[in-house]
Amino acid sequence: MNNRNGRRAFLKKAAAAGAGAIIAPYILPSGRLFAASGNRVANHVVFCLFAGGVRNIESVAQDRGNLMPGVLGGGFSVAPSIAPGIDVLPSLPGASLRSQGTLFRNFRYAQGPTGHFNGHSTAITGSYTLQDLSIKEPPKMPTIFEYYRKHNDPAQSALNAWWISNTLGPYPSLNYSTYPGYGALYGANYMQPASLITQSGLSALSNPIAFTAQEQEKIDGLKSFFNQSFRSGGTVDTDGITNAELDGLELQDYIRQTLQEGSTGAFINPWGVGAANMNNDMVNVFFAERIIQRFKPELLVVNMQGVDICHSNFTEYCNQLHKADYAVAHLWQTIQSTPGMANDTILIVAPEHGRNFEPNTILDVYGQPAIDHTSDATSREIFCLVVGPPGKVVQNQSITQVTGESIDIVPTIAHVLGFRENIPGGLLAGRVLNEAFV
Amino acid sequence: MNMQVVIKVIAGIMLLTSVSCKKETEYVYAVEDVQVRKGDGSKTVAKTMVEFISIAYADVFGNAISQNQLSQLSLLYLSFGDKRLLEDMLVKNMLNSQLAAIPSDTEMRADVNAYVRSTYLKLYNREPNELEAFTLAKDINDDAAMRSSMVFYAMMTSDEYRFY
Repeated sequence: MNNRNGRRAFLKKAAAAGAGAIIAPYILPSGRLFAASGNRVANHVVFCLFAGGVRNIESVAQDRGNLMPGVLGGGFSVAPSIAPGIDVLPSLPGASLRSQGTLFRNFRYAQGPTGHFNGHSTAITGSYTLQDLSIKEPPKMPTIFEYYRKHNDPAQSALNAWWISNTLGPYPSLNYSTYPGYGALYGANYMQPASLITQSGLSALSNPIAFTAQEQEKIDGLKSFFNQSFRSGGTVDTDGITNAELDGLELQDYIRQTLQEGSTGAFINPWGVGAANMNNDMVNVFFAERIIQRFKPELLVVNMQGVDICHSNFTEYCNQLHKADYAVAHLWQTIQSTPGMANDTILIVAPEHGRNFEPNTILDVYGQPAIDHTSDATSREIFCLVVGPPGKVVQNQSITQVTGESIDIVPTIAHVLGFRENIPGGLLAGRVLNEAFV
Repeated sequence: MNMQVVIKVIAGIMLLTSVSCKKETEYVYAVEDVQVRKGDGSKTVAKTMVEFISIAYADVFGNAISQNQLSQLSLLYLSFGDKRLLEDMLVKNMLNSQLAAIPSDTEMRADVNAYVRSTYLKLYNREPNELEAFTLAKDINDDAAMRSSMVFYAMMTSDEYRFY
């Protein structure tokens, strides 16, 4: 074990020396670090896809009470029609997110089918999905992760770019595209914690055979020989992204440590809201927070989708909306209490699409009709919230006129991280949401 | 004279009769069982996720993975973006299992050449060429600290192991 650590220490030192050589030219006499590609608004962006289909009627318009006190402020309240079905969560300390940023109350998912994957794909690529979208393939247009890793200067490793999704299905494929010149080489690290941090994960991953540093060197030698002997005409298109060796070791450590912590029951009620209240969205955000605390990534995208229960249960949709609000407020609290991320992070929050104006015919136990999302005008109405430090983001601003679209989020992230101008023309149709920035 | 002719004719008939009554030999044409193995250069098809997991499991444990285990490992595989990293972790974990059925270090050293050949056949599904056989055998013979698990780990995380 000591030898293994010794090898890791050696790798770390080697990497640090290399990184130092690369970074050194960008450290000004003031000691402040600048990215070479352009002025950054902040050095970190967290984009929370407040997804699953959220209507403005229940969110910013508060038609059933203030279910989102963490985002909107003003105190929690619930309409009597749904009150028995709402779990009351403890209030989080601190100001509301809206007061710490700019709320676009009438944002639009303007084009394309109002499907969850279409909406996610649009938000992550900055391109509407007007053509048929294959849920078995990565998007056709580059993702924000690829733009970041390809065009940010200096280039950053995949440890700086994360996509954390609450379900599998088609969502793992959103960490890179098939667009020529981009792809897995520039993709994000992807994780779906609900399937990875499990008992089967613990059994299958957390008890590795140990090799000493000397043994590992011999293994590397053997492997190099085997690889030199092998020349395939084929390609492995299922590899996904590949982390550098040092980053891979760091990730393996992280996964094993997380699995072992999980086995002690540490993740049953990590926020103290009651184990029964921790829904899948909250769990997903919790693991995103752990990524933030461990790796301090420059770009992280995390989603929630619990509200989609609205297809069959409106009151539970409102309950899930309340939990999503709690989760995103908790996420911001974690960002602001993480050294290296605090006061240097822009948080963007937006649903992928809304829901219809007209309900369907399913009633829940409280007599409330359920709602689908089939591309009517109301299902295109969403909100977008940009939160950040004073001096960078306009504080306590609420824009009521129709302003901004889903495809504007990617250029806005690129603007914050200082590489917008490096993206080739013609790839992004959206604009930077300048209204949000000082 | 006539008698001699008659005897010859009778003898000839008997001879002919004995020949014509001989049972015909039956020839059965078939193909011998031959192990068909690809050379390394002709492996162009990458293993799918399910194939990789199933084959790795069988190579380490010597039996087929259950459907339930395959399903659980597939979920893990899907839930992380860096597939080779996950494969590395899976292989390391399998090799550390008490149920792992790979040759012991003693078995490896008892007949290194046989070990090299059988390991190539098992993991790469082909014979090693002369250089490969010589090099790996030398690596093992020259290094008393080389373990069978190190050879298995190196081969199972190599590029060729991902193809068939």
